Amino acid sequence: MYSYVATLSLYGLDCKEIRAEADMSDGLPVFEVVGFLSGEVKEASKRVKTALKNSGIVLPPKRITVNLSPAYIKKCGTSYDLAIAVALMKAMGLIPKDKDRGMAVIGELSLSGEVKKVTGVLPMVIEAKNLGYSRCMIPMDNLKEASCVEDMELIPVSYLQDVIDHYHGAYVPCIDHENTGCICENDTVGVDLRDVNGQESCKRALEIAAAGMHNILLIGPPGSGKTMLAKRLPTILCEPDREEMLEITKIYSIAGLLTADTGLITERPFVSPHHTATPISLSGGGINPKPGECSLAHRGVLFLDELPEFSRQTLEILRQPMEDRIISISRQQGRCIFPADFLLCAAMNPCKCGYYPDRTKCNCNSEDVRRYVGKISGPLLDRIDLCGRAMRIDYKDLKQKGSNVDSKTVRMRVEKAVAIQRERFRGTRIRFNSEIGPGDIDRYCHLGTKQEKLMKSAYECFELTARGYHRIIKVARTIADLDGSEEIKEEHISEAIGFRTIDGRYGNV
Amino acid sequence: MFETRYYTRFDKEYPDKLRFIRDPPAGIYVRGDLPDPDKKTVAIIGARACSQYGRNMAEYFARQLAMNGVQIVSGMARGIDGVAQKAALSEGGRSFGVLGAGADVVYPKENRDIYEMIQGHGGLITELPDGTAPLPMHFASRNRIISALCDVLLVIEARVRSGTAITVSYALDQGRDIFAVPARLTDPLSAGCIKMISEGAGIAASPNDILKSLGLMQEEKVKGSDGSKINLKNLTRDERAVFACLDLYPVSIDEIVRMSRLSIDDAMASVMSLCIKGIAKECSSCNYIRSR
Repeated sequence: MYSYVATLSLYGLDCKEIRAEADMSDGLPVFEVVGFLSGEVKEASKRVKTALKNSGIVLPPKRITVNLSPAYIKKCGTSYDLAIAVALMKAMGLIPKDKDRGMAVIGELSLSGEVKKVTGVLPMVIEAKNLGYSRCMIPMDNLKEASCVEDMELIPVSYLQDVIDHYHGAYVPCIDHENTGCICENDTVGVDLRDVNGQESCKRALEIAAAGMHNILLIGPPGSGKTMLAKRLPTILCEPDREEMLEITKIYSIAGLLTADTGLITERPFVSPHHTATPISLSGGGINPKPGECSLAHRGVLFLDELPEFSRQTLEILRQPMEDRIISISRQQGRCIFPADFLLCAAMNPCKCGYYPDRTKCNCNSEDVRRYVGKISGPLLDRIDLCGRAMRIDYKDLKQKGSNVDSKTVRMRVEKAVAIQRERFRGTRIRFNSEIGPGDIDRYCHLGTKQEKLMKSAYECFELTARGYHRIIKVARTIADLDGSEEIKEEHISEAIGFRTIDGRYGNV
Repeated sequence: MFETRYYTRFDKEYPDKLRFIRDPPAGIYVRGDLPDPDKKTVAIIGARACSQYGRNMAEYFARQLAMNGVQIVSGMARGIDGVAQKAALSEGGRSFGVLGAGADVVYPKENRDIYEMIQGHGGLITELPDGTAPLPMHFASRNRIISALCDVLLVIEARVRSGTAITVSYALDQGRDIFAVPARLTDPLSAGCIKMISEGAGIAASPNDILKSLGLMQEEKVKGSDGSKINLKNLTRDERAVFACLDLYPVSIDEIVRMSRLSIDDAMASVMSLCIKGIAKECSSCNYIRSR
């Protein structure tokens, strides 16, 4: 008896349609699974067999062959278990054969017959929809994330028995529709810019960064609140639209970071890898590639605290995603591309001891300071548009209450600036001012004669580079947008120059 | 030639600063003008037998203060008093001499040039009628008028026991600020100054110290990037406010915002234009100093 069930495989972000075929024929009793399997899929035969037995179904002593087709695709992961079990039950004639037209089956089995949650359900369900499937059978714990897909009938199951009941038309899943919508292990929930006293210039720099999606570097002595400020950056970024939320949720689904309570992620992520992170942990990788921190920060903030402490190799990984907004991982099996469009927020001390240029505490000479900053590669610094300076805060500031601007107000200003940008870049691939290429600068950032003159004197006075020059103009464009001004005025340029990043000028008192 | 005028304590021309001290003169004789009550006044006093150092300091301080529109009051005596008044006048400033004799008596004789010049650019003030001779007993009491007329009393070279010390004690009574110019510890000519400083007088390390205490802006003119002088009056209001916050050690943009009470975007824009003009310098990101 032959039968098959549709399921999906996942490689990186790419899903492929897979058929789980089962055949039972006479011969010596053998149960074998074929079709270019990785270790965990090979084990599926044992899990499925025992799960079936514990659900009251004993496999007949026949020659049983299961094939995951097409056979040229390497099968990884545990999401094939349920499909194999269903195909077997169909082949045994336990469930009707024609009841699953247009249905894809995804899920892992435990020995008890319980259906367990798997990673990557959301991209699989989305792909199933694109392939023309109208129904998906998924583990109950994956229901929330799969619910993000509209126009798809979902059959969440908890036990193998539920599957059998479903085929006989006797299964009514109990569904809890509450959606928490936050990312697990996220300590940025409930924070507000209002919590930060003082640090006006940093707050302003963050606002500009958020409005134009400019990468930002925060410099300040230890304990001045750089991390605190950075954690509040997602709260002032513009709200993600539905498409962005789906992109974020997809990545978290593949990474297995969604809990059973998490549905669509509605907040922008804030990812803060420790400075001992390896290059691969940042970029993502593995035989079956998993997204790294870069991709987990997609459409959100990647925060690198203590930037000079990161190994050079790790930081160099960031160059491709910062340029192309994707990260491509090439492995023997093939190449997969993860999106990595994040706002980089880095924080560092100004020098080894951390207090430069406060001469009452810092004894570092210019050379020490330059050496410390020199640990960060030039090309990386080149891609950072803004630099905020956190200061040691006074007792008075520390105790002051109530006068701080809150995230909501700032976010409203940011949203306004974003709306202006959306209007400006309509019909192009650009979304934010930070993405304007050198060729488009003149088109989008026109400078008047007075402004040209100011830029010229600034160019000479601050010994700017060509790239630095463009960065300043882009940031000035964002400041003008925040101001609601179509024209880039002199004060916008001046402010952009003030917030420009460190370069050769660092370390000269 | 100028006529001597007489004002009693009850005339409205009589300076308020003088009217409300403990023992005001019943009336004053004036040749030329009285000090402008809306302008800041500094009294520069010191030893008659001064050193070359004292002479130089008197001239330097008087010039710088006069350049910033400060009126200089002194006793028109030999030494520090005369030098300071002469320097202020030659800088185009205004100066007032408080005399221990009649307003028509030139004393000491070598200060005749000051006596002539001062009547067009300031004035002579005394409580003694014309023709009164410069007797020693008059000088101690005229000192109370000098201290009364000033906002800040600046002492350049004084012995511990001296006429200057008397003026200082009057100034203390009248609640005037006292600054002293420091000098070598072993110099008896400056022992009075050192003593005043140890007793709490301000150290006049530069004319800026006096200007700051008077609440005046720092120099009106600063050097620009190309070496040319830039008049602070030509800066915008915001730029001047930012400039006032800058110093010779790095000041962060947050401190500038706090001191100047400007918004962060205005402060940043102003400090940048000061940098481009060469008046300020960025020493590391978001930290600024005045350029020298």
